[in-house]
Amino acid sequence: MENVLEVKGLSKQYKPGVYASQDVTFEVKKGEIFALIGPNGAGKTTTIRMISTLLKATEGDAVVAGHSILTEPEKVRENITYLPDEAGAYKNMKGIDYLKFMAGIYAKDAASAAQFVERGKEICGLGDRLNDKIGGYSRGMARKLLIARAIMSRPALAIFDEPTSGLDIINALDVRRMLKKLASEEGMSFLLSSHNMLEIEYVSDRVGIIAKGHLLEVGKPKELIEKYEAQNLEEVFERVVKL
Amino acid sequence: MKFMHLFKKELKEMLTITTIMTMVFTVVIMVMAGSAMSGAVEDAKEESGEITICNLDDTEFTKAVLKFLENPAGGDKNEVKYVDIQGDDYSKELDRLDIKNVVIIPKGFSEHIENSEQATLIYVTKMTSLSSFSNISTGSSNAMNLINAAVKSAFYNSKVNSGALSDKEVTMLEAPITIDETTIVADRSEKVAASLIVAATQMSNMFLPICVFILVIYSSQMILNAVATEKLDKTLETLLSAPVSRLSVLSAKMLAAGVVAGLNAIVFMFGMSKMTESVTNMTSESVDNLDEILKNLGLTLSVGDYVLVGLQMFMTILITLAISLVLGVLVKDSKSAQSYIMPISLMAMIPYMLSMFVDINTLSPALKYVVYAIPFTHTFTAIQNVMFDNMTVFWGGFAYQAVLLVVCMGFAVKVFTSDKIFTMTLSFGKKKQKEANNED
Repeated sequence: MENVLEVKGLSKQYKPGVYASQDVTFEVKKGEIFALIGPNGAGKTTTIRMISTLLKATEGDAVVAGHSILTEPEKVRENITYLPDEAGAYKNMKGIDYLKFMAGIYAKDAASAAQFVERGKEICGLGDRLNDKIGGYSRGMARKLLIARAIMSRPALAIFDEPTSGLDIINALDVRRMLKKLASEEGMSFLLSSHNMLEIEYVSDRVGIIAKGHLLEVGKPKELIEKYEAQNLEEVFERVVKL
Repeated sequence: MKFMHLFKKELKEMLTITTIMTMVFTVVIMVMAGSAMSGAVEDAKEESGEITICNLDDTEFTKAVLKFLENPAGGDKNEVKYVDIQGDDYSKELDRLDIKNVVIIPKGFSEHIENSEQATLIYVTKMTSLSSFSNISTGSSNAMNLINAAVKSAFYNSKVNSGALSDKEVTMLEAPITIDETTIVADRSEKVAASLIVAATQMSNMFLPICVFILVIYSSQMILNAVATEKLDKTLETLLSAPVSRLSVLSAKMLAAGVVAGLNAIVFMFGMSKMTESVTNMTSESVDNLDEILKNLGLTLSVGDYVLVGLQMFMTILITLAISLVLGVLVKDSKSAQSYIMPISLMAMIPYMLSMFVDINTLSPALKYVVYAIPFTHTFTAIQNVMFDNMTVFWGGFAYQAVLLVVCMGFAVKVFTSDKIFTMTLSFGKKKQKEANNED
């Protein structure tokens, strides 16, 4: 299966000897949901930000849909969407206007933009509330709008940092199901980052365990659970990190 | 007990190192401004007390009057500087003698007094600025009062003591001299009292600095909040990971803020021109042709002048936007956002206050260049520079602002197009950037 993302020896050094992430290597296949899991300060967000072209890598490279983050960051951005953890939207904008604004950035023409908006409306399920200003939305509503924004343009790779943060159990379940459906039926690829091991175990095809900037283990949740003779991914994580 | 516990926590949160640094910076700036103001006011006071006389009517009578001027009965001695005015081109003569005003006793002054006719004193003032302290001339007003008193006294002694006074002599005793005032602006002169000119232009002199000050603070707040909010809400991350160049994001933000600020500048300039017009009309009701006089003195702005002042104002706004953009990147939380505007407010406050009260060009060289180093100064003084033909200072300021704009914009672009947009923080004396710790 073709790789949508290939990360090769990616490192971020802030000053000599201080790495936020070091020599990280993994790949995400088309239609795959790959999750980076790790404790706070492990280097998940730094890795994701480098792949999203927000931060410059000091060593290594990542190739998204055939484009290097080092040499073709514009092309990379055409193929990804990024949803940061605890991200907000423009509070003075109406939900529908936000979708239109973002569609205008991702779409190549007006017709595609209109399609993106229709899809966004459907995904977020906010109905008439889309005509309200985002400032009046609950955290969950805002998160659904942002998820819709990240998915509506059908990127080759959607990068979500804590995808369901702020959502209640029902909405979180809906989102997880939706991600699985989009990956399996539409061939969209996802790179997730989360603290929520149960969520990751349920939604991901493969996981990468990261700690102190190093990617320590990569594999399918079931295989890892078997390999480490653990009950669940949380136990796997604990054992890998302690090694 | 619990209250103190809460109070300590609140105090600790509010009294951050940024707040303390802002306070220190405020004090330093205020002390500097205060010292500049007091120095300038002292100079203005000293200058205003000077008496400069040109005695073209070199008679025993005028000599006696001037002696009285030097040693008034019951008053302090006055130091009088005597000059020789050659010809009627007062502007040239004042420049040659390097003086700002002169009281001229014209030829035939004594003869008029002897003939029991009102004599005329000529008072010439050269205005170099519209600021309050630069147009005070207590020395000359004092001199004219003393000359009036001396003439009155002399007239009283010679006429009253000799017997009954005619009606003409009684009138003469009430007002023995009249003042013929001439005001010079650059190389233009008009027969009008400087005090009237100051009154007519006071509104515009006060209004422009207020407009510039408001615009600087407004633009600064606008862009700083825009960047800080985008950063704190992480909408900036969303935008910068979208298929759009960082330069486009930056340019759009700057241009939008520039357009809004530019609109504000146009509205303010329009409002100011209308208000100045109304005030001039109001003042001209008491003096014939005052608007014509102001025009002849170059104290009204032409369309071209408004464009020049507007351009300077726009330049200031762009510099403010570039600096604020970088400051916005430094904002760590919503609480600290306001404190980051403080340096800009203070930088604007110094020239704002100074330009209203003193002529910045007359400050001591060191102080003058410190004040000129503040980019906003050039806009605060723009109207006066245009009115008083100080075009070298105007264009010098414009060139300086242009260079500074390129530097500030260059830095803003560098910050915006690099990792600094996410990692730059202020660390007062702590170990250099804890960027790695800020990242997950």
